[in-house]
This record gives sequence, C-alpha cells and structure tokens, in this order.
Amino acid sequence: MDLGVDAVILITGPLFAGKTDFSHTLWPDVATFDDHVCLNAQTLAENCPNLPALADRLAAQYAVITLTEVGGGVVPTDPAQRAAREAAGRLGCLLAARADTVVRVFCGLPLVLKGDLPQ
Amino acid sequence: MLTFVVGGAGSGKSAYAEQLLAACPGPRYYLATMQVWDEECRRRVERHRALRAGQGFRTLECPRNLGGLLLPERGAVLLEDLTNLVANERYDPDGAGKNTLQAVCRGLEQLYCQCTDLIVVGNELFCGGTDYAGDTVEYLKLLAALHRRLAARADNVCEVVAGCPVYYKGKEPVYGPV
Repeated sequence: MDLGVDAVILITGPLFAGKTDFSHTLWPDVATFDDHVCLNAQTLAENCPNLPALADRLAAQYAVITLTEVGGGVVPTDPAQRAAREAAGRLGCLLAARADTVVRVFCGLPLVLKGDLPQ
Repeated sequence: MLTFVVGGAGSGKSAYAEQLLAACPGPRYYLATMQVWDEECRRRVERHRALRAGQGFRTLECPRNLGGLLLPERGAVLLEDLTNLVANERYDPDGAGKNTLQAVCRGLEQLYCQCTDLIVVGNELFCGGTDYAGDTVEYLKLLAALHRRLAARADNVCEVVAGCPVYYKGKEPVYGPV
C-alpha cells in the first residue's frame, strides 16, 4: 500500500481494540514494519521533557503511529501515573495535529476522524 | 439483524438499546444477565425494571450458559449485558472458566439462531490504562477479544456517547414487519 511521501497516519483507540492489527494492514511489509510503524506511542510520553519535540520527531520518522487512549476511568492517586496518562493524552493531541490522517479503532473497526485513508 | 451497542457507565447505552428493541416487530425479550449478589445489584435491577415498565418487553434471566437458553417464541432480543455474562462465565464456579470466550461466542450464535433481531449491550472499559490488580487485565483482554469478534459479526456497531450513538459499522437499524 502506498501511503504517499511523508504522510503520517495516527491510529488511536482503547486498549485491546485492534490498533496493532490495523497498523499491519497499513504497512503489510513485515521486514520494514519496525522502521516505519511506531507502536504504543503513549509509553514514550511518560517523563518526556518536551512533548511537542517528541511529536515532531515521531511524525518525521514514522508513517504510522499507534497510541492507546489511557485517560479514561478514575484519576490515579499516584502522581507519576497521573502525570503519565496526562502526558499520553497531550501527545495524542500533538500527534493528531501533525498527522494527515487520524483513525480511531474501536472493537476492531476503524473510524476516520481526520483526513482520508490511502486507497 | 445483529446490533452491538457499546458505551461507558451512564452513557445512555441501555436507554438507546431499549429504544431499538421497542422498534422491533414481534415478541420482544429483555435478556438480563446480572447475577444479583447484594443490595446494590437489587437496586440496579429495580431501576432498570422501572425503566422498562410498560415497554412490552418480556424479561428472561440468563446470568450464564447462554447456549442453553430457549426462547419461548422467535422474536427480538436485547441482551444486557455482555460484561456481566462474561464475568459470570469466567468467575462463577459453575461457569465456563477458561473456555469463556468459546462458550459465549457459541452461546451468542445459538441465541441469534432463535432471534429475528438481536441487540447486544457491552461496556466500554478500555480507556483507563493497564494498572489493575489481580486478574483484571486478563479479563479485559478476554472481553476485548469478544467485543472484536462480535463487532466483526454484527451488522451494526455503535458507541453511545452522552446518549448519542456513533456508528463504527452499519447504521441505526430500521426494523421491518415480521
């Protein structure tokens, strides 16, 4: 599948919703998958001193980025966990702003929130 | 037609699913899956019964072993909800235990065979991170696998947000005459 030069697709969605499976349909080549697809970007947000710079770097390096939504449920009492899930949410916003296409995968079903998926 | 309605706590998913059932022709069954453990459960059941009163639904109880359920007549069914059914199968000593995924999938197929229309309600539990005690993440993984299978099988899939259905697949069902 030709994603187009420098096009970035952000895949967001709840835990275990099928985001990784969907990323494989966008980048089917297993040999180059790890070079072009960033899985679980929310884990990179934790303790990151500069989220916009991280978002810039990810958007420049990868064609497909997945991010798990972790901001629902009860606010954690642990300050580090609280900061981590907030940072994950902010990174999601920053990546979505940089992405050409934003897709939310829910129960294995993709819904395009921004832009278009490649044909 | 098979419709899967998912939503968070207090999202309005039950009211929406009941509205869909009310629009179905023929006998209408409300399939309740909650096992009544305590006073809170009882109050929840009472609240839902009051909401359903006068809608012309017949209530059937099925906390587990969906595959063993026989509908009195072919008709429309609202199963509420998948989360309770899965927890009962997985953790009740008389439930399916490790075989819950297969048992519930098979049970849903067997139920659907007897239905004109089936509406299944599920809970959105998957946006609160992964930091849970004990077996919770395994339970979430099991429930999510079931959600994906059911969503793949369903004609229509929606998430109810503040009472508004957002369709990820199909559209709001329009039920014809029997």
